[in-house]
Amino acid sequence: MIRFENVSKTYKNGTPALKNISVNIEKGEFVFLVGSSGSGKTTFLRLLLREETPDEGRILEAGRDVLKIKKWRVPYLRRNIGCVFQDFRLLPNKTVFENVSFALEVIGRPRETIDTQVPQILELVGLSDKANNLPSELSGGEQQRVAVARAFVNRPLILLADEPTGNLDPANSEAIMALLERINRAGTTVVMATHDQALVDRMRRRVIELDRGEMVRDQARGVYGTDSGETL
Amino acid sequence: MLVFLRYTIRETATNLWRNRMMTIAAILTVAVSLFLVGAALILKQSAAQASAHWQGGTRVTVWMDASASQSEISTIKSTLNSSPFVSSCVYHTQVEDWHEAQQLLPPNEASVLTVNEVPSKFVCVPRVPTDAAQLASALQGQPGIYQVTAPYQQIRAMQHMIRIVQYVFLALALVLLISATVLILNTIRMAIFARRREVAVMKLVGATNWFIRVPFVTEGFIEGLIGSAIAVVGMTALHTWYPLHGVYQLSTSDLLGTDIAVVAVGVFIGSAGSAMAIRRFLDV
Repeated sequence: MIRFENVSKTYKNGTPALKNISVNIEKGEFVFLVGSSGSGKTTFLRLLLREETPDEGRILEAGRDVLKIKKWRVPYLRRNIGCVFQDFRLLPNKTVFENVSFALEVIGRPRETIDTQVPQILELVGLSDKANNLPSELSGGEQQRVAVARAFVNRPLILLADEPTGNLDPANSEAIMALLERINRAGTTVVMATHDQALVDRMRRRVIELDRGEMVRDQARGVYGTDSGETL
Repeated sequence: MLVFLRYTIRETATNLWRNRMMTIAAILTVAVSLFLVGAALILKQSAAQASAHWQGGTRVTVWMDASASQSEISTIKSTLNSSPFVSSCVYHTQVEDWHEAQQLLPPNEASVLTVNEVPSKFVCVPRVPTDAAQLASALQGQPGIYQVTAPYQQIRAMQHMIRIVQYVFLALALVLLISATVLILNTIRMAIFARRREVAVMKLVGATNWFIRVPFVTEGFIEGLIGSAIAVVGMTALHTWYPLHGVYQLSTSDLLGTDIAVVAVGVFIGSAGSAMAIRRFLDV
């Protein structure tokens, strides 16, 4: 589903963000991307979205060479990728329902599709009763669930999450993780960048660790630290 | 398509309303500048029409010496008839001119004038109005001719004045058009800024670039359209209350053509302003 081949990226100010990364993520996998701030996790995700392009190497997504996609076709690539961020990025003047329906509307989905899919997804994230509330009336955990609903409403092949639990208390983090797991079980590939050690240790999923742009670990059923887990 | 249409209308209306002070400023600037453009265009058309009318009436008058001999008169006559600049000539005898003078001059002056003191004249229609000057200079100084007169100087002076007024109007209008474009650019820029969150989400979920751009383009388009509509109303009002008379009067179709031109310019600067804003401030 996702394949990096010798990908390197250096930012204009000379900071190397990623050095010679090669990784293969299969369809339906759940992958944690761990590492300290500045290790290149966010760059990794931005490359997948083609918000950045690498200096060297090749990136394949769903069998397509991402770098060969013409600039005006990039939006169509992004329709297959859902995104969740630490800061939720909801539209404050739109209700929960509108925040989710906006994502379908702006890619030209017809009204009927919106009217059936949005309630379904709100049901999935457990916010059916808050459909007409504004984000400011919701707790952080609920807001993040709205963000997940928005990311997943178009049934993308890949879901990227950049520290989705970073602003949440443990209970709400749990709820978000349960949701991501459920989405993953439905066949969506999930890549999640995180600092949350307890969470990674408990989930025992594949862990890719980055350190100053280099991939220092790739473990199936890994933990946040380096001492245990099976090496691939 | 229907989704897109509904979305565009809704978002454009939201943009216009959210920035209403800037929107009003932009629309009024467009209106004032286009009103000046329209006035300049009407002035130009009207002046062109009037000057064509006057030029059509241009006559070159060849005054003979009062003492000119019969042979000199007939030489001039044949010169005029063979001149390529002349389309036709009428000879007025001394008696005819004397009668005319009796009517034109005050009685105390007319009474001392005798027929022999009055010059006879040829009144000639030039083939083309602008030939008048050449015809006059060709005849000037020939034996028997006292003076050749043509009204080309007056026409030229009039045209010169009208042209200066036109240039002043157009220069003012141009400056205002530029400021209108910049104002529209700025309103769109503010709209883009106000909607940066939406734009970020749209990019994220894969809205196409044109989908993101279109509401901003239509916003500028509508500002240009409303502004030029106000200008057209202003021009029509001006023309109704202070109509142009006589040879200056323009036909309805001429006025309509000017109105259409004004609206086209308004729509153009609106779209151009938003296009520039999108290129510079919207990163899609």
